[in-house]
Amino acid sequence: MKQLKRILHVEDVPSIQVVTRIALEKLGGFEVLSCQSGQAALDQVQAFAPDLILLDVMLPQMDGIELVRQLADLVDLQQTPVVFLTGHLQPERLQELRQLGVRQVLGKPFDPLQLATQLRQIWEAEHG
Amino acid sequence: MESPQQSTTPMPSTAQPRELSRLAALLRYEILDTPEDSAFDDFTALAAQMCDTPIALISLVDDRRQWFKSRVGLDVSETSREISFCTYTIAGDEIFEVPDTLQDPRFCNNPLVLGEPHIRFYAGTPLTSPDGYNLGTLCVIDRQPRRLSPEQRETLERLGRQVIRLFEQHLLAHRHAEQAALQQAILDSASSAVLVTRPDGVVTSVNPTAERLLGYSEQALVGHPLTAALFRPEALQRRALLLSSELQVPVEADFSVLSAPLHRGRRDMSEWRLRHQNGNEVPVLLGVSAIHDEQEHLRGYLVNAYDLAYQEQLQLRLQQIAAQVPGMLFQFHWRADGPACFPYVSEGVEQIYGLSPGQLAGSFAPIVGRVHGPDRSALLISIRKAASELTPWHSEHRVEHPHKGLIWVEARATPLQQADGSVLWHGFVTDITARKAEQLELDKQQEMNRRLLEALSEAVIACDAEGNLTLFNEKAKQWHGADVAPLSPSEWAHHYRLYRADGVTPLEPEEIPLRRALNGEHVIDHEMVLLSNGAPRHVLSNADPLYTSDGQRMGAVVVLHDITERKRIERLQREFISTVSHELRTPLTSITGALALICSNVMGEVPESMHELLEIAQQNSQRLSALIDDLLDMDKLHAGKMRFDMLEQPLQPQLELALRSNGSYAERHGVQLHLGACPPVNVTVDAMRLQQVLSNLLSNAAKFSPAGERVELSAQVSDGRVRVSVRDQGPGISDEFRARVFQKFAQADSSDSRQQGGTGLGLAISKELIEHMGGQIGFESEPSQGACFWFELPIQGQAKESP
Repeated sequence: MKQLKRILHVEDVPSIQVVTRIALEKLGGFEVLSCQSGQAALDQVQAFAPDLILLDVMLPQMDGIELVRQLADLVDLQQTPVVFLTGHLQPERLQELRQLGVRQVLGKPFDPLQLATQLRQIWEAEHG
Repeated sequence: MESPQQSTTPMPSTAQPRELSRLAALLRYEILDTPEDSAFDDFTALAAQMCDTPIALISLVDDRRQWFKSRVGLDVSETSREISFCTYTIAGDEIFEVPDTLQDPRFCNNPLVLGEPHIRFYAGTPLTSPDGYNLGTLCVIDRQPRRLSPEQRETLERLGRQVIRLFEQHLLAHRHAEQAALQQAILDSASSAVLVTRPDGVVTSVNPTAERLLGYSEQALVGHPLTAALFRPEALQRRALLLSSELQVPVEADFSVLSAPLHRGRRDMSEWRLRHQNGNEVPVLLGVSAIHDEQEHLRGYLVNAYDLAYQEQLQLRLQQIAAQVPGMLFQFHWRADGPACFPYVSEGVEQIYGLSPGQLAGSFAPIVGRVHGPDRSALLISIRKAASELTPWHSEHRVEHPHKGLIWVEARATPLQQADGSVLWHGFVTDITARKAEQLELDKQQEMNRRLLEALSEAVIACDAEGNLTLFNEKAKQWHGADVAPLSPSEWAHHYRLYRADGVTPLEPEEIPLRRALNGEHVIDHEMVLLSNGAPRHVLSNADPLYTSDGQRMGAVVVLHDITERKRIERLQREFISTVSHELRTPLTSITGALALICSNVMGEVPESMHELLEIAQQNSQRLSALIDDLLDMDKLHAGKMRFDMLEQPLQPQLELALRSNGSYAERHGVQLHLGACPPVNVTVDAMRLQQVLSNLLSNAAKFSPAGERVELSAQVSDGRVRVSVRDQGPGISDEFRARVFQKFAQADSSDSRQQGGTGLGLAISKELIEHMGGQIGFESEPSQGACFWFELPIQGQAKESP
């Protein structure tokens, strides 16, 4: 079974980016690439080849859904689960995201102590 | 004189105009069909004797017969005119004689000739009235032919003239009797007492009114001197003295005091007090007039006594009534072209105008003089106007009273047009100074009220008991862009464009606060929207029914308070809180996240000395996060943006989940959470929101329970609803706090809040959430016996009692 190791994290707020990255690295032992914008993620996703992509839906310039669409062109989202971190999302949008291959939507604010465990559970639900 | 044989004239006609006048003359004597009268019989007896005939008649000829006023030697009292001999007699002016009827072609076949009384001879003289009409005849009849001697003819004519004189006398006597009866009737029916005296003052006649007035019968007075019977000697003496000096002739103290003044004129009127039979005195007005015959000889006196007692009584009664009336009663005589006067004023004239009736002496000028100068002309104009239109007069004017100063009076009077074109008024004047002062005070008060209403920043609208709008103050007009209109309450909402607080749903008529107040309701802070004038205006309405002092419903009033600005500020505040909360949330997430990582020793062992500070930082950042979350929830609830994903589901798993989620929090407070009975029922809820409510109730209970106690979560079914209860063993809810438990930012004791933590929004949010899910929330608590917070939700599907 493939282990969850590499996580592409897209978050525009630097402080949250830092906290999230540390939580994932320290508590999950993951290799994390933090991107501050959707464009940066698109630029680096192929080079980084993540096992899982963690997205903040409310991104400037490009919202999370648009980003997922464009990511789908670059990587196989069936193999690379996308997890959303968001405070508010309408159910019909969730439906749309699922069709695009989004596996899970986690509420915000998230508990940094639980985040790594949650992601691992999602991963294991697919690969376990 | 012509011989009767020469007369061949036919039967005289009876239908000529002359004949009608003759009949009228005959009837005037009123003698036909009267009883027998010996005065007439003397003449027939004399005629028969002088002419030596067995039959003599006084015959009166009317239109169809001859009737015998007197007859000698004949039994019938009348015969038909057609066969009568007298008809021939009255056609001429002289004696009509028929010497032998059987030889006379006019009479030879007459039944009176051929049968009873077998007339062979007839001689009649016409009875000619002074105005020349032949009324009938005096005639003599024999049963054998013959002729009257010249002496006999002359005697018959003389007797005929005497008979006419007797007719005249008869008529005159009849006239006199009638006259006397008429006089007696007049006398008897006279409303005043009438006594007739001889020239020397002795009573000859008394009418019934006099008998009644004086108590004497006619017999008791007739034949006695009038003055001696009815007058007191002292009074006669007094009057005699007075008259003596006035007339410059000595007047005796007897009947002369009544008759002497008549020499000056025709009639004398004077007031007397006559002696009644019972000893009392009767006040009368005596009128004495002399009675003269045609020769101007004094025949006596007519003494009229008008009863003044009744009038005195009336006068007295009027005075008594007038004295009771607060003001002045008057009778006022007004002429367009002459001086006005007061035939009567009551004593009240003193009170109103400061004038005594004596000072006034009936004249108008002193009164006008008292009227306040500036009011004078209006007063006179109003009198003139009412007099010309004959309408009731009403005037309020000021009077310069010599003692009271300037007073207000009110006058009313009713006009009565007199035959001479003048107007007689009956009316009264009252002092209305006090009322006027009250009125002025009231006016001032009303003016004050009006100004107050206009100065208000609230709109005030009132209606009467029938629902007619009666008042819009300035603000009401401004806000509605309209004024009072004659509308029924059912039309108000449409006409004044009244909407519910949402600003889009028109108010139903029965929702309008003023209408509700009209139905007796007290409406407090009812929010609504006025759309009449541009932008929507949000108002709070407070409406109340209005009652008179005796409890009668007299209408309703509503006060509208404009809260548009407050609403705007509230919205701005909400927006601000919402924005700030959102802005705070992100940095807070970083802080709490970072602290959590540090405290979990992920970044390496935290030195012991930092534990306490880190703990404080972490707890407070968590509390701040909770506050922000609550604020955002509240904002969403207010804005109606909170989503509820309602799903029917079993209740028990939700309670179990809540217990697990809050277990660690309770443990930190040393409190144990315990799940009690829970019936197997389904509820339709948004699970996340239900958890939020349960968390709030459980954490509150844990927070307020003393360490070592336990908090019990349980549910019971009743009435198609399930009640979920959270019971703690804490201090309970104090009385002061009860009313505010579910209000925003309510905390039992603000000094306590820091220790206990919490945002003060939890229960307010829980209440909103439960109500949004169709439930109710509440609590029961006895101080120091713990509290039990509960919420009820409708049960979906089958409901079974808990085992």
